Amino acid sequence: MIFWRRKTREAELDEELRAHLSMSVQTRVDWGADRKEAERAARREFGNVGLVKEVTRDAWGRRWLGDLLGDARYGLRMLRKHPGFTAVAMLTLALGIGSNTAVFSLIDALLLRSLAVPAPRELVRISFGPPGTKGALPDPMFDRLRERQSAFTDLFAWTNAPMVLTEKDVARPITGAYATGSAFPTLQLKPRLGRLLNGQDDEPGGSANGIAAVISEAFWIEHFGGDPRVLGQPITVDGGAATIVGVMPRSFNGITVDYAPQVVLPFAFNVALRRKSSWLNAMGRLKPGVGFAQAQASLATIAEDVVKESLPPNNQRVDYLRNGILSLTPGRTGNSPLGEIYGRELWTLQALVGLLMIICCANLATLELSRTLNRHHELVVRSALGAGRLRLVRQLVAESAILALAGAAAGIVLSQWMSALLVRYIEQSDFPVFLDLRPNAASFAATIALAALTVILTGALPALSLTRVHTEEMLRSGAPRTVSRKRHPFATSLLPVQVALSLLLASLALLFAISTGKLLRMDPGFRVKGITLFDVNFERRPEKGQARLDLYRRMLETLRLAPGVEAASVIAARPLGEGGMHESAAPVEGNGPETKHLFENVVGPEYFATAGTKVLAGREFSQFDRFGGTPVCILNQAAASFFFPRQNALGKHVRSTEPSAARDTCEVIAVVADAKYLSLREPASATIYYPYQQLPTFNWVGFITRSHNTSAAIAAFQNGLRRVAPDTPLFPPITMQRQLEDSIGKERMTAALSLFFGGLALLLTSIGLYGLESQRVAQRRAEIGLRMALGARRKDMLWFILRESAVIFAIGVPIGLALTFAASRFIGAQLYAISPLDPRIYVAAVMALLGAGFLASSIPARRATKVDPMVTLRYE
Amino acid sequence: MPEKRERYQNRIELLQGTLDLLILQTLQWGPQHGYGISVAIRNRSGEILQVDTGSLYPALHRLEKQKWIKAEWKVSDNKQRAKYYQLTAAGKKQLGRERSKWSQLSDAMAGVLDPEQM
Repeated sequence: MIFWRRKTREAELDEELRAHLSMSVQTRVDWGADRKEAERAARREFGNVGLVKEVTRDAWGRRWLGDLLGDARYGLRMLRKHPGFTAVAMLTLALGIGSNTAVFSLIDALLLRSLAVPAPRELVRISFGPPGTKGALPDPMFDRLRERQSAFTDLFAWTNAPMVLTEKDVARPITGAYATGSAFPTLQLKPRLGRLLNGQDDEPGGSANGIAAVISEAFWIEHFGGDPRVLGQPITVDGGAATIVGVMPRSFNGITVDYAPQVVLPFAFNVALRRKSSWLNAMGRLKPGVGFAQAQASLATIAEDVVKESLPPNNQRVDYLRNGILSLTPGRTGNSPLGEIYGRELWTLQALVGLLMIICCANLATLELSRTLNRHHELVVRSALGAGRLRLVRQLVAESAILALAGAAAGIVLSQWMSALLVRYIEQSDFPVFLDLRPNAASFAATIALAALTVILTGALPALSLTRVHTEEMLRSGAPRTVSRKRHPFATSLLPVQVALSLLLASLALLFAISTGKLLRMDPGFRVKGITLFDVNFERRPEKGQARLDLYRRMLETLRLAPGVEAASVIAARPLGEGGMHESAAPVEGNGPETKHLFENVVGPEYFATAGTKVLAGREFSQFDRFGGTPVCILNQAAASFFFPRQNALGKHVRSTEPSAARDTCEVIAVVADAKYLSLREPASATIYYPYQQLPTFNWVGFITRSHNTSAAIAAFQNGLRRVAPDTPLFPPITMQRQLEDSIGKERMTAALSLFFGGLALLLTSIGLYGLESQRVAQRRAEIGLRMALGARRKDMLWFILRESAVIFAIGVPIGLALTFAASRFIGAQLYAISPLDPRIYVAAVMALLGAGFLASSIPARRATKVDPMVTLRYE
Repeated sequence: MPEKRERYQNRIELLQGTLDLLILQTLQWGPQHGYGISVAIRNRSGEILQVDTGSLYPALHRLEKQKWIKAEWKVSDNKQRAKYYQLTAAGKKQLGRERSKWSQLSDAMAGVLDPEQM
């Protein structure tokens, strides 16, 4: 726009002046002069056309634009002339900006971004549970609360649920969710097509037209080719039928940031299908003018009544409910289970990459400075020719702006790749994580801000301090090679900062890496290699009760006979999978009923042989431990030594103290080694195992196999399932190795990335040191030559150069140590089995840093010793 | 090159106020193009004031930017397309101010140079 206007103006000025000249000529011709003579005279009178144009352009007051273009062009030329510097600078910036953008876009997606609904700030999450937890509400509590509340326009509930879609007799898992009829009206969402669910859809049995379903835009396009005739189509989900009535907008992916439901059904569908109440994630939209605090106060007045009225007098999860309170949290960003798990680690990483960015900037500034010192003579000449200081600064800033822009572009490309890598760490295997990581305004703004920071730190500051040129002094002395004895303090003050920050990053990286290594190498109490776990869902099979148990038995037999499968059993709660069951129990024999909360697992015969957990005493469950026989159970060591300290637990009895317990007592037939089912970090909790064959109503167990190679086990399982229970949906199997890695995903992510960033920091600092020292050697060639001519030995010269690096480290290392001590307070909780103050870590980090630094500065130092005194002195 | 430019710039500085006044005054008699303005000033000053193009055009463009004059492309009597400048209302007011400033200045100069006549 401006360029275009400038072009026209330029043309106009041209024509205006040409008109002037031709009129001047014409007047002279009219007065009788010869045309040639007239032209010459007119031109003489007019003067230098180019000059007139230039001074006139000055009057337009837009000179800066042309200058800017000039600066840019000159900057590009300078960068092209120094390809080595440009490449290093670009790479540094791309890494710095790329890693910052990648981590930030993940934080943005998981923790910061608002739900894509109108006025997301009005949304509030309502949770129930012991203080500090964000649990779901039981069905009746939600209904009661919705009746009584006054601060919200309405409440709605939303529950994500994996579903099974059946199409042409093929069953496959999809992502689904249940919503109350109030959900879409309260979210104020507009449909992409058709309509969204409303209150009538959520009446028991659905509206007159049956159960309504809405689908996501992605599902619509993938499954129905984006055909608008999808409205009214039937869909079979979890064995029930529904009718598609609308498509959700593309930007809306449910209220959980990492879970995008493909199908949303009214809760009425779930109730019709399963005839059971559920736990609901509740949200509400504040009435206009009602603030968050006001809503909290309003809730406080009714909360106690609501809780009391809606809880059954004797409930299974007594403790949980007894301590439960209703609480509000802001709901602008929706639910983010992954954000809650990874939030702290991600912010830690953001802090690390932030430090890395500072190192990048410091590095660039140092490089830029040492490069500009070389150009000192150029700057002096330019300032002698009348360039103002501002003009010089602008020139230098323009160069770093070009660099920053190019670096930011490369960084954005790099960040795409890096954030995909980050998601791989975060992803749990059982269901793909859905995360919208396309660059958006927020991450773009972050990148631009970083680029701007770079320009300021690497361009403007050094430029300001450098352009304080003493023209006369420099020109008079004539030989810049001998004056640079006093180097610029700015350059040297940056390197200790870099050293300190690198030390910080390196020590943190070592801490995280060692802690994660310990987690990975510890003995969890079960085999990791060769174990594969399978989920199975027999809900659609006609077999119930005993028949269902037979189904499991047949499946198990098929698995055991399959080639390549060494052992197989049944398992309910996967080791290190999410969740599990709880049981409270007390010993029958002994001095008193000492109730203890236990972790409960339901397993099949030969489970411990399959899983590789040692049986310390007694025998495993066998196929003869069936319903109707003596109820049996197995305790782990922690449970056995709690209930029966210093006694033999075998043959003793344990009584379940759960109010709803169907089985009263069971005989302990074995004690097994402790195994970590919940978390690798915590010591194994006291555990009780029951045989699945004695629990005919229990129906969510899966299979576990041990095999030499995983694919054999998977093939065996798929064949078996096809034979024993066709039309059962296949869920992706998972290896124990993967399960274990998943369970410490955040530790592995922090360790891998901090190692990467720490290494990068060391590399950058080395480059900075190398750049500065090479510069110094080049500048002081004459001095070195002279000293050597006067009899200094090579060793002296080596030390002469290395001394400076030593000073930098002498300042930087203590600062870095102090920083690390300060930081260790914040990361202690994220570490496993290592103290954040472990001196060995610091020794290792300092050694690594010193090694890198020595390597970096010894190359230029060695170069200094190769200086031939004769050559340099003659040159001077 | 820089020295030459400096020469021009000095002259603009020297003439700035005066040249603006001369241009505004010339345009009072009607729209005129750059060449016309320079001829008019030369003629009316009895060939004493030679307006340099290097001063005239920056001044014209500056006055235009300040909205004291406006420009329009027209075809002159002898079929020459030229940029005609014209006084605006603001320019007329400015002319009045410049004139009174000038007469104060010339009175003061006269008083200093020739005290008897006061």
